[in-house]
Amino acid sequence: MRSRPVAALFPLFWATALGAQTAVVYGTVRDERGAPFHNANVVVLGTALGSLTDREGHYRLPGVPAGRIILSARFIGHVHAFDTLTVAAGDSAEADFTLRPSTLDNPLPFVVVGPVVVTAAKRSQLLDQAITSVAVVSDTELARRAVNTVDEAVDKAPGVQFLYGQVNIRGSTGYVQGLGSRVLLLVDGVPANQGDRGGINWDLVPLEDVQRVEIVKGAGSSLYGSAALGGVVNVLTRDIAPGVHVRVRATGGTYANPPHDVWKFRDYTGAEEGLDATGSYGTELVRASVSGGGWHSDGYREQDRRDHWHTAAKLDWRPLAATRLTASGSWASDQYQTPLIWCTRGGCDDRGQAYQPFMIDTAGRGAFTRSDKGYVSATLERTASARFAWQARGSWLRTRFSDYQPGNDDAGIANRFGAELRALAHPAEGRVVTVGAEGARSDVASDIFGDHSQNEVAAYGESEQRVGRTRLTAGARIDYIAVDGGGLSAVVSPRVGAVLETSAGAWRASAGRGFRGPSLAERFVSTIVSGLVVIPNPDLHPETAWSLELGNAARISPSVHVDAALFWTEAHDLIEPNVNLGTGQIQFRNVARARLAGLDLSLSATPLTPRLTTALAYTFLYARGLAHDTVPERPLAFRPKHLLTLSADYQWHTVSAGGDFRYTSRFERVELYPGDERVAGKVLDLRVGVERGPLSVRGRLANALNYIYNQVPRTLAPVRTLSVTLTWTY
Amino acid sequence: MTTRTRGAAAFALAAAVACNQGLEPAPAPTSCPPGFVGVCGTVSFVGQVPESTAKVFVVAFDTFPKSQNDLFKFKPQPSPPNLPLGGPPFFYTLPLPSGRYEWVLAVWQKQGTLSPTNADSLLRETGFYHDKGDTTVHGSGIVIVNAGTGTDSIDFVVDFNNMHRVCYYFPPCP
Repeated sequence: MRSRPVAALFPLFWATALGAQTAVVYGTVRDERGAPFHNANVVVLGTALGSLTDREGHYRLPGVPAGRIILSARFIGHVHAFDTLTVAAGDSAEADFTLRPSTLDNPLPFVVVGPVVVTAAKRSQLLDQAITSVAVVSDTELARRAVNTVDEAVDKAPGVQFLYGQVNIRGSTGYVQGLGSRVLLLVDGVPANQGDRGGINWDLVPLEDVQRVEIVKGAGSSLYGSAALGGVVNVLTRDIAPGVHVRVRATGGTYANPPHDVWKFRDYTGAEEGLDATGSYGTELVRASVSGGGWHSDGYREQDRRDHWHTAAKLDWRPLAATRLTASGSWASDQYQTPLIWCTRGGCDDRGQAYQPFMIDTAGRGAFTRSDKGYVSATLERTASARFAWQARGSWLRTRFSDYQPGNDDAGIANRFGAELRALAHPAEGRVVTVGAEGARSDVASDIFGDHSQNEVAAYGESEQRVGRTRLTAGARIDYIAVDGGGLSAVVSPRVGAVLETSAGAWRASAGRGFRGPSLAERFVSTIVSGLVVIPNPDLHPETAWSLELGNAARISPSVHVDAALFWTEAHDLIEPNVNLGTGQIQFRNVARARLAGLDLSLSATPLTPRLTTALAYTFLYARGLAHDTVPERPLAFRPKHLLTLSADYQWHTVSAGGDFRYTSRFERVELYPGDERVAGKVLDLRVGVERGPLSVRGRLANALNYIYNQVPRTLAPVRTLSVTLTWTY
Repeated sequence: MTTRTRGAAAFALAAAVACNQGLEPAPAPTSCPPGFVGVCGTVSFVGQVPESTAKVFVVAFDTFPKSQNDLFKFKPQPSPPNLPLGGPPFFYTLPLPSGRYEWVLAVWQKQGTLSPTNADSLLRETGFYHDKGDTTVHGSGIVIVNAGTGTDSIDFVVDFNNMHRVCYYFPPCP
């Protein structure tokens, strides 16, 4: 097969959508010696069509729109290959690929196209054509990092920071103990934030089942509604390949002991171990996969043991060439000791220290949590013609928790039911229109949140029109929210944007409004914290934000790609806990205005040799809470001004080695314990891997320098952890 | 500078930054630390700690509470520093905003879920700071906290044999 300069094919790209009926494309993916690739990914760019190769390297793609198409074949450790075809309606065409290792010294004779993303516009598009910044954590990066959960994999993405499980995209959320995330989690496009707290369970989907993760930065409510105030994280699960496939993954690791004797808290070295297995079987008509596993961790500090179990399944049925039904679900259960805040002097055996970061306060001894969560979803997709496609989906997310704390047990069950009908049309050349309607119902039954429900209905539409080298986008969404069957409140979220392709790269600009409706927990929580009574506030209304962005993505040389964006967010009516010492009460209220502005820069390069890939990501963040009532302007809590990530990976045949260094500047302001010592975060992760046939072994040394720090109040961040992951694939 | 040299320099810079230490052991202070704002002192312990103890902590009120509702106007919020459950004399530090405080005391808390309605049964005053020679009910232990410096020698005794319920200060006791 002959590779061609893909950049020259852009004018043909949208022409692929103009055919009237569909065709079948098939072929084989092999390496340079002719050996077939198993599980190589072949996709039709600009569409959702894709297939994995079987053990003989064969793939088959039914439902391909007639006309000119661009095919892409990719496999871990190999340079993506592209080809163009012209296929006639009702016909079939063969396209074979030969993939070359990405370690070749000779540059390959085509320009590499950026990845295809599906989240920024609720449809498939090239990354450089999105009007907002999108970061992608690919399957290659997931495999390299050898981590256990999605949040660990996403943590080093540009502009993204996790604070004890709470995701921040350009400083969106800060740290509010898991409540009210200002980032929306999607699993294969299905919203998956908790129905009660609005938070995110990052272990909802086994990492083994994840193909890639897309992170859309900035307000995304014009397509996704509530919670997409600061961004959207879409976890995309793997496609199922034809044939029988099995993958077993075993992990073992140890935690470093405290670096100072005076901090020692146990007389053994903590360990973690886990086992996952995935099996799948597929034909051209139907494909299914099942996975299960679990892990145990002793934890790296006192009272930090955790057991985790999960199972997941996926069914993919293609009864017609252009029709696809996907059903998937997962269930995860965690039972873990709850390491409440670390011990300060007098709160434990302090050994004369002002604080003991590895020990907990005796008042928190015995705290334990059980958390169960699961979801099922089904999506029916139909490509009616090359001009029109639609999909319908339904989903159910259920979470259950039981907190056992000394003298204070809490429990709750929450559900979130969702449904969506979406259509994608190409009414004219260069125009793409997405419209849809969405509904959701959340309910909770809990001793601290009460019995409540919330209904949401929404309609949205967005259109992209190509004018010369420019793509113009405009759209809006209207959400209606009703709590406990009460009156509807409406929120309108418009968005406009443009992408201009120039010789200096692709310029993008966008302005959009985001919102987050208060969670049921924030409205109705009724509990006691430190002797203060937390009272409900049913009158809370949504917090909103306008986000503006100006960015540029450019390949400044064959080996260097740069993406830079200036962003500005003005937030209104942010929901925060308000403490009234006069009455001894805490209540969530719409109180704060905030401004978050800055620069997001990412650079990837292959300097010196193609074997070496490097990346730099830097975010400068100006985050201020604006003056209101009696509160003066001040820095927003838990936002770093500087966030820097340096990455490098070297691949030599089947052996790879690399690392990440993440610098997080010292928070200007924190809450709860502002007088505590604060340090910057400086974490170095190292990794090494080797693949041989069906086996791969990956080693990971997280926090290699054993840097001792905390980012949320009196909570020690993970110490040095050495882990080895062995994967066998059939 | 060659490309290789630049790469090596960048790596060296990253390594140098990374090698900087994070949190280190911090011996408990024996006097108000420099720059600390609040009060410091030594508490001595008398008596046997009750088995039902949840914790003992130290707080301050800028004005002496006039009713039970005022009991939650203590500082610092939300979690005041704990005291050990007996043992040798203990040097405490209590971070406070600068200002005038009329009552600095230790509070004993019984096991259970604390709320304003059960404060009388779960909380006890178990010692407070007062001027020498003062014998009034809650002492005239006025403490001034200045900005930028700690107020030292706010010493007092925690007496587990002589603890007082809330209703002792706001009678009648049920």
